[in-house]
Amino acid sequence: MMRDSYRNPFSGTNAVTLDDQAILVYWCSPFAYRLFSEIKENDIFEDPNNIVFMGGRSTGKTMFLRYWSFPVQMKLAQNFKQSHGKKVFEYFKMMGGIGYYIRVDGLVLRSFSGFGIDIEKWNSIFVHYLELIIGRAYVESIKAINDEGEIDQVELQSQFIPQVASLVGNTSVKNLEGLLNELDARIREVDVYRGNIPFYNEEFRPKIGFASQSLSFGIPRIAKRTLKVFKDDTKFVLLIDEYENFLEHQQRVVNTMLRFTTSDIKLRIGMRLEGFRTTSMISSDDFIKEGREYRKVVFEEVLIKDQGYQDFLREVSRKRLEGVRIFKEKGKTNIVEFLSNSEDLEQEAVEIVSKNPNKILDFFNKHIPSDSMVMVQHKANPLLGLLNILWLLRGVSPEETRHAMEKYLKGDWQDEKAKKYRMDYIDKYKLSLMFVLCSIYRRNKKYYSFNTFSFLSSGIIGNFIELCRRAFQYAEFEDKEGLVVHARISKEQQNKAAMDVSESELQQLIRIEEHGSRIYKFICNLGNVFRDFHKDERIRYPETNQFTVDSNTIAPEDCRRAFSAAIKWSAIQRKSRLQQPAPGKHLRDIFTINRIYCPSFQISYRTRGGYSVPLLPKDIELFMSNENVDSKPFVPKKKDDQDDDQFTMDLFGKE
Amino acid sequence: MRQVLYDMRLVVDSREHESAQDIETFVLAAGSDYRAYEVLRKLQSRGICIRNLILFEFTERLEQIELGDSYGDYSRFVADKIVKIGCSIRNPKSSLGDLLSNQSAFIDRTVSLDISCFTKPFFFYLLKLFKERFRLQRIDVFYTEPLSYLFPRGIFSSYHSTLGPLTILEIPGFSGLEQRGEKRILVILLGFDGDLARGINEDVSPSEVVAVNGFPGYAPKFKDISLIANEKLTSDRDVVVVYSRANNPFEVFNLLEKISIQSSGAFINIAPLGTKPMALGACLFALHNPSSRVVYPFPESYLRVTTDRCWNSWKYEIPLVLDVSNGNNGP
Repeated sequence: MMRDSYRNPFSGTNAVTLDDQAILVYWCSPFAYRLFSEIKENDIFEDPNNIVFMGGRSTGKTMFLRYWSFPVQMKLAQNFKQSHGKKVFEYFKMMGGIGYYIRVDGLVLRSFSGFGIDIEKWNSIFVHYLELIIGRAYVESIKAINDEGEIDQVELQSQFIPQVASLVGNTSVKNLEGLLNELDARIREVDVYRGNIPFYNEEFRPKIGFASQSLSFGIPRIAKRTLKVFKDDTKFVLLIDEYENFLEHQQRVVNTMLRFTTSDIKLRIGMRLEGFRTTSMISSDDFIKEGREYRKVVFEEVLIKDQGYQDFLREVSRKRLEGVRIFKEKGKTNIVEFLSNSEDLEQEAVEIVSKNPNKILDFFNKHIPSDSMVMVQHKANPLLGLLNILWLLRGVSPEETRHAMEKYLKGDWQDEKAKKYRMDYIDKYKLSLMFVLCSIYRRNKKYYSFNTFSFLSSGIIGNFIELCRRAFQYAEFEDKEGLVVHARISKEQQNKAAMDVSESELQQLIRIEEHGSRIYKFICNLGNVFRDFHKDERIRYPETNQFTVDSNTIAPEDCRRAFSAAIKWSAIQRKSRLQQPAPGKHLRDIFTINRIYCPSFQISYRTRGGYSVPLLPKDIELFMSNENVDSKPFVPKKKDDQDDDQFTMDLFGKE
Repeated sequence: MRQVLYDMRLVVDSREHESAQDIETFVLAAGSDYRAYEVLRKLQSRGICIRNLILFEFTERLEQIELGDSYGDYSRFVADKIVKIGCSIRNPKSSLGDLLSNQSAFIDRTVSLDISCFTKPFFFYLLKLFKERFRLQRIDVFYTEPLSYLFPRGIFSSYHSTLGPLTILEIPGFSGLEQRGEKRILVILLGFDGDLARGINEDVSPSEVVAVNGFPGYAPKFKDISLIANEKLTSDRDVVVVYSRANNPFEVFNLLEKISIQSSGAFINIAPLGTKPMALGACLFALHNPSSRVVYPFPESYLRVTTDRCWNSWKYEIPLVLDVSNGNNGP
């Protein structure tokens, strides 16, 4: 029974491969969770600007674009038809347009180069190919609408089909299926050529050649001109995915389309951050520019501004858990129930010190008299004991420290010291103390709980799903009954999953096609610098895991490009607006390390924002060129003249 | 269903010895691996004469030669005529001009190809070229198994035979023909490098994945190393794991034929990451099913040496043209 009705709810995650029905099943509208402030739902079809959606791998771009595509929307339109007794086209009119999802896989894109053919010739062949792909998507949708009986047959037969047939160079075509076959045959010419070119030195000679926009803009024009259903302001919206995979000459083709879109034809493009290889266009010195040809929406937010993201993750998880019969039947569809809401740091600390409780005293006995430490010890909660030692290191007397702790434990908030103590413990140092404790005991910090996983995911939904997939996998292997019957995944199992995903993501960096090795070294060195900050027993710069650099001045060129690639692959994330790297400093670009790497380096998954390591362009070059760079020069010996007190955050709440 | 009744023999097999004949054209890649010239050595030891030795010298490998390297040892084995083809390992077409100008060594000749030190994309290219441009009906393919692979980071860490970043590409000449609305199937012949399989799966984005594990392998542990390295891929619910003998290309061919028939109308993508004999089976399938696509990760460069010593050497008789009139065929 258990075996039959259980499967890992988080496996099978690629939105490209989900069928249209599955897209609807798994769809969680980001608009409902206020994830985007820059865009409203009806902008997808109605915004007169082109829109570029940027985000790292697995941020949900493909799911988003596919949701708006014709085949998925057609299913909703058919539901609309059934429930409202209206035509399917009424639905598309209500939405404001029809979306055409265009994804050319990277393998095909990369095949349009090399073999001794110059790039301009490849460009012409690619333009021809892309026009055919887009043209075919239009005709498929019109055929589907026609199959619903919603297109006037006289208009179709006497005007639309003859005009499109003429455009594609075969006037003998008499129906929509014939048009599709004709377009298929022309696409096949390109595929055959791609297959033959390695063995022959021959020119590409298609039956008819298509220039940029001839079909992509031409067919909508004919539809608007000849078919009544398209005559109002229903837009043709091209949803082009994985733009970053387009080679430079191919991006010029799309850029040219961006420039020349009309009021009826708009582009929505999905791409990685830094996904533009070029802003040039096909045949002129002109270029495209943000704000003029397109506006940008970023999917991947570094800061989790409110509960919206976590609510979104809960909903994504709920849909997946509901897809597993045994969980649905038992009503176990809340991911928080499986992972627990947040960490229990006190318990974790007790486990760490249990075998050698005096190791903390031994560690500090060179700096602090033993009797003072004994006076402030708290055996039941080693983190409080450690905080007390921190106070002693900062010059507070043992008596005063003990008094503050006792008042805090009694909840006496009239006492100023108790309030200060609470702020230090709860708001500022609890997690930092945990890292110091782990460092003293040479043990690894555990990464577990829904809150931790959501932070580790760094705004990348795919990371969260992968963390859950691994955790469920460990739980299934080690304690299937606990998982399936009690909805329980232990913190050890979760931690193993977090470590696996972190290490796997780190290793993936080496495989990045361009600059992978540099990015890997950069992240390793950066992570180790941050690690040294976390080992500082005086916690002068708590939870430091971000840095600042003037990225425009990075040299040489290879390093500058590698830095961009690190952003493109979300190895580092740029904060959405300029911030102060430290109190009193000028506003600068701040970057964080992707928090999915935090378990590998044993650093905090939160971003406190107190201190950003100032890096110079030469440091970036050093980090990218060398393994095991010495961290010491990057960790200040004395604290700057900043007041860390002004930076507070709830440990398990908002940043 | 087309099936290849196979003929694979150990090169040192006594029956082979009895029927040994001189070889008209022998195609070989120069390399520094211990096994690079093992077949040459065995053939010579049995007195088999090679009339034309077509030797591929890759510029990338020439740059890596070290002092005392065994790279040049091919010269110890006599051939009536050695034709050197200088080309780039990353660009098989760079050999086309030289091969066409030496086509008399191929057309209407019995041709043998030692794939031991060719990269997989390169021997795929050569086999298609032999079929398409030289109209060869069949070819003898030799292969020497390594005694072991080199695992510099331990056997359960990823094995890498390449250096630097990778670009996943269609193998030249094997881009396939995808029809509108076809379901995509990806067949991955598993190797030891799990990250590669994941990368290819992401790039191809198929609706179904069949992972083929080489079992029995060259050594019992290889099957498990491969499964562990590919755990992330194989644990996905949409992935089916099947097994095929690691040193038998014909078994892979037959498996692919079966998959092709079972999923009629699907666009089959093959990623031959496993052993070279398995890749040879994939190549054989793709030659006879040109609508299928073969994809492979192309690195910036390969490691100079990736294997340790030699085990068996095999000879496979590969039909480049199948006679389907009698339902199945073999050499």
